Amino acid sequence: MQRMTEVLRDKRDATIDLVVDAGESRQVVLLSPVNVRLSVRQREGSTLSVHVLSLTDADSDLSVTVNQDEPHCRTQLYGLALTRGNQVVNIETHVLHNVGHGTSTQLFKNALADTSRATFYGELKVLPDAQKTEAYQTNRNILLSPEAKMRTRPQLEIYADDVKCSHGATTGHLDTNALFYMQQRGIPLAEAKRLLLLAFMEEVVQTLPDEPLQEEVRQQINKRLK
Amino acid sequence: MLEITNLHASVGGKTIIKGLNLTIGQGEIHALMGRNGAGKSTLSAVLTGNPAYTVTEGSIRFNGKDLLAMTPDERANEGLFLSFQYPVEIPGVSMVNFLKTAVNAKRQYQGLEPLSASEFLKLKREKEKLLDITSGMQNRSVNEGFSGGEKKKNEVFQMAMLQPRLAILDETDSGLDVDALRIVADGFNKIRTPKMSAIIITHYERMLDYIRPDYVHVLHNGRIVETGDAALAKAIDERGFDWIEDKYQTD
Repeated sequence: MQRMTEVLRDKRDATIDLVVDAGESRQVVLLSPVNVRLSVRQREGSTLSVHVLSLTDADSDLSVTVNQDEPHCRTQLYGLALTRGNQVVNIETHVLHNVGHGTSTQLFKNALADTSRATFYGELKVLPDAQKTEAYQTNRNILLSPEAKMRTRPQLEIYADDVKCSHGATTGHLDTNALFYMQQRGIPLAEAKRLLLLAFMEEVVQTLPDEPLQEEVRQQINKRLK
Repeated sequence: MLEITNLHASVGGKTIIKGLNLTIGQGEIHALMGRNGAGKSTLSAVLTGNPAYTVTEGSIRFNGKDLLAMTPDERANEGLFLSFQYPVEIPGVSMVNFLKTAVNAKRQYQGLEPLSASEFLKLKREKEKLLDITSGMQNRSVNEGFSGGEKKKNEVFQMAMLQPRLAILDETDSGLDVDALRIVADGFNKIRTPKMSAIIITHYERMLDYIRPDYVHVLHNGRIVETGDAALAKAIDERGFDWIEDKYQTD
């Protein structure tokens, strides 16, 4: 089986179209993309993983569309955004199960500071022919300031009856009990927040295909949290 | 080293502590007893600077400094340590990273260089050996999935790493069986130096069989109403709190 990893750094104003051929495995990592639309068509038995890691200060519209055109495809989408200042980041996903026996999972995590705003619009469509589909979507957000605003819109349309689908979206704050516990051990509040945010994002970082890349992303997150 | 004068404190708009006075000298162990709602845990929350609690009157001096003017982390780095009644789970933050950050935060506060990775490991091993615990716990997330006994042991281990001047043990005995209680109390006794002071908050006298207090105070309705030695704890164990509360019905 062929396996390809592509890391695209600082891609700007781009539209990317890909086809993942039958049996192929493809990993795409978008590191700090700005206004990028990625569209992928998957052939039979192919595997796709996409990471959308928004770690810049630029306003950005990001969109990932995946069409499972043939059976037995696997799709994994992951996203991170760490927004601050007056920044606006919009993330859209469109996962279309056009045929059966496919799986898709989505995990998108955002942390919003200052007066920044973000939206997550997640369209998940299971068409009538897509029996035996398994599709899951998760969106978790943390607001770091009372002025930050998160809008999350999961959009599930399911037209087949023999499927397993779920979605979950939460928006909350950093755990004040955990923050106090850390402060009681002498850790200053800012550092305690940084540790909790790193832990929050680690769930996505861990899914990156190799250790050096994981480390690169951790460092970028760290830099943004300073 | 600790001087609490006419303390009044509230939580959620409700006044819990109503004029509490307490002075603790270096090396002294004070037990604080009383029923639920008497104000025991509120006092530990106020001492450590828990933001949910408000001090409405009074003062607290710690090592000659105004404790109430300090942030929770400054208080900790001045040498105040709370062994939590309910230690908090922090998924995704490893014990080792957490402890190293805490130890080095204190060193920075004291104007010392941070410990290197190997110096830190050496200190950690020393304390593990002292307390006779294995390092398995340290590779997990902070308190995540720990049993009740493990959590309390972990509190004592953190205490050993941070070497406080004043340790508050907030109902460390609750939820522990006798064996776990003995391990935790033994651990505390090993860490204790002649200079270290402690406040032991407890409902039961049992804990005080392992950690002998110099003073025993009974808290009732937000005030210390009775002070004695270990014999007072014995009397409470035998006769309950009723006889003390009957004496202070005036409130």
